[in-house]
Amino acid sequence: MKGKKFAGNILFFILLILLWQLMYTASCDWFHWAKPYAVPSPAGVADCIVYLLSNGTLLTAIVGSLLRVSFGFAISVLIGSILGASIVAFDYLAQNLKPLILGIQTLPSICWVPFAILWFGLTESAIIFVVVMGSAFGIALSIESGIKNVPPIYIKAAKTMGVDSLHLYLRVIFPAALPAFVAGLKQGWSFAWRALMSGEVMSASVGLGYTLMVGRDLADINQVMTIMLVIICIGILIDKRIFTLAEHHILKKRGLL
Amino acid sequence: MYLRLNSVSKLFTDTDKKTLQNISLEVEEGEFICIVGPSGCGKSTLLNLIAGLDHPTSGSIILDGREIHGPGADRVVMFQEAALYPWLNVKENVLFGLQAAGHPKTVQQEIAEKYLKLVRLWQYKDYPIHQISGGMKQRVALARALALDSKLLLMDEPFSALDKQTIHILRGELEEIWEKHRKTILYVTHSVEEAVYFSDRVVVMAENPGRIKDIIPIPFDRPRNIEHPDFVALRKQILSQVQLSARKIAAEEFDKAEGDEIK
Ligand SMILES: Nc1ncnc2c1ncn2[C@@H]1O[C@H](COP(=O)(O)OP(=O)(O)OP(=O)(O)O)[C@@H](O)[C@H]1O
Ligand SMILES: [Mg+2]
Repeated sequence: MKGKKFAGNILFFILLILLWQLMYTASCDWFHWAKPYAVPSPAGVADCIVYLLSNGTLLTAIVGSLLRVSFGFAISVLIGSILGASIVAFDYLAQNLKPLILGIQTLPSICWVPFAILWFGLTESAIIFVVVMGSAFGIALSIESGIKNVPPIYIKAAKTMGVDSLHLYLRVIFPAALPAFVAGLKQGWSFAWRALMSGEVMSASVGLGYTLMVGRDLADINQVMTIMLVIICIGILIDKRIFTLAEHHILKKRGLL
Repeated sequence: MYLRLNSVSKLFTDTDKKTLQNISLEVEEGEFICIVGPSGCGKSTLLNLIAGLDHPTSGSIILDGREIHGPGADRVVMFQEAALYPWLNVKENVLFGLQAAGHPKTVQQEIAEKYLKLVRLWQYKDYPIHQISGGMKQRVALARALALDSKLLLMDEPFSALDKQTIHILRGELEEIWEKHRKTILYVTHSVEEAVYFSDRVVVMAENPGRIKDIIPIPFDRPRNIEHPDFVALRKQILSQVQLSARKIAAEEFDKAEGDEIK
């Protein structure tokens, strides 16, 4: 059953690549709609992957981007948690700060780029700033709603068993809100990853975004395509292998899946 | 006097409905009190007030000479819904309260084992909560409440989701624990039979506003025989009182619903 599904997936990708090749051949060779250097081809991308891997560009770019996004994401989680917890703790903030955060959160992260450049110049900090601005507020909101939605009966039961407020947070509220937290982190991660790319394309530091722009500057459409595919793959891989896996594990343990 | 309620009233501000009005009750240490009354008359609300989870709008509740202001481990509540933690397994749920009480680890384990065996769930100790039945959940909640060994136990229909067989066993266990440890128990139930079986006194409540309609002492010796004619007679007498108010409510609600529809 599982093998069959896997075979289906593989088949789909083979068909997709064949279609891609067909479109390339049709547009460049048969009908001459486009110049070959303006359209990526499967073979060209494969060549490019080999080339970028062999000279080490791809690996350093991936490592650079991952380090940067991890650092930015960690700061986001920290800021988001503090912000989210303060909104829960103070009604005043819930009434005034929360609508503001909801508003800021709708802002595409690329809008923070001008700010970042004016404040930090074309530096590492500028990119981190964009990542944090792009993901911290969403995390704050999910922390807040996670805590808010803990069933009151859990808290009541703990109180009648004499649990003090510190342990109430550690042993009841935190575990009860954990599924919501993980869902929030997952979403925060995807925001952070996108924001990272907004930041990286405008800067000159080593990273996937930078390599993407180099491809543009060299008018190498295959390199652009390669990097885009790498960005997609890493995004999916981390989402599925880390966050979705953690989410499933938690939900399954509680019989919610 | 161990527990004293001085004309306690409770008004939920968001609904403005008088849920409890002038409830006065005195409970001796070691007494077993059952509270019966129609659904919605405020039985759970009353337990919540005594638990300290909610505050009376007026009146006061005195426990052991001190007024109740908040919840505490001296008044363990067994809620109407089991309120177990789904991220913990059966045994960890029972250990939960014991950890707060600050017993040494080995003692905690011993106590948890003792009470899980008492409710016949020891072989399920490693089960996640979602893999046990509703009745088993109530038994875990019972074990968790009893394990804390508080002097006052507040129980809200603890056996309502159980089968006859299990009820019979657990009734016996609860009675034994009560007699052996001289706990004071306030026990809400829908079953008048259960009330007459357990109580020193049965508190009959009425609705709208929630109030005490009658307090009936049960004179029978223990262990009680639920088939004894005197027992049956008293049970029927109390049942008719409860039913009277329940029927009245049903009629009122029906009229109201009809009125709404015509509008
Ligand atoms: N938090 C609340 N806010 C507003 N009204 C409430 C609240 N809790 C309970 N009530 C109202 O108080 C009344 C009594 O509720 P309560 O749960 O105490 O009834 P009960 O006697 O325990 O009923 P049952 O036998 O069905 O459990 C109900 O009419 C309910 O609508
Ligand atoms: Mg109730």
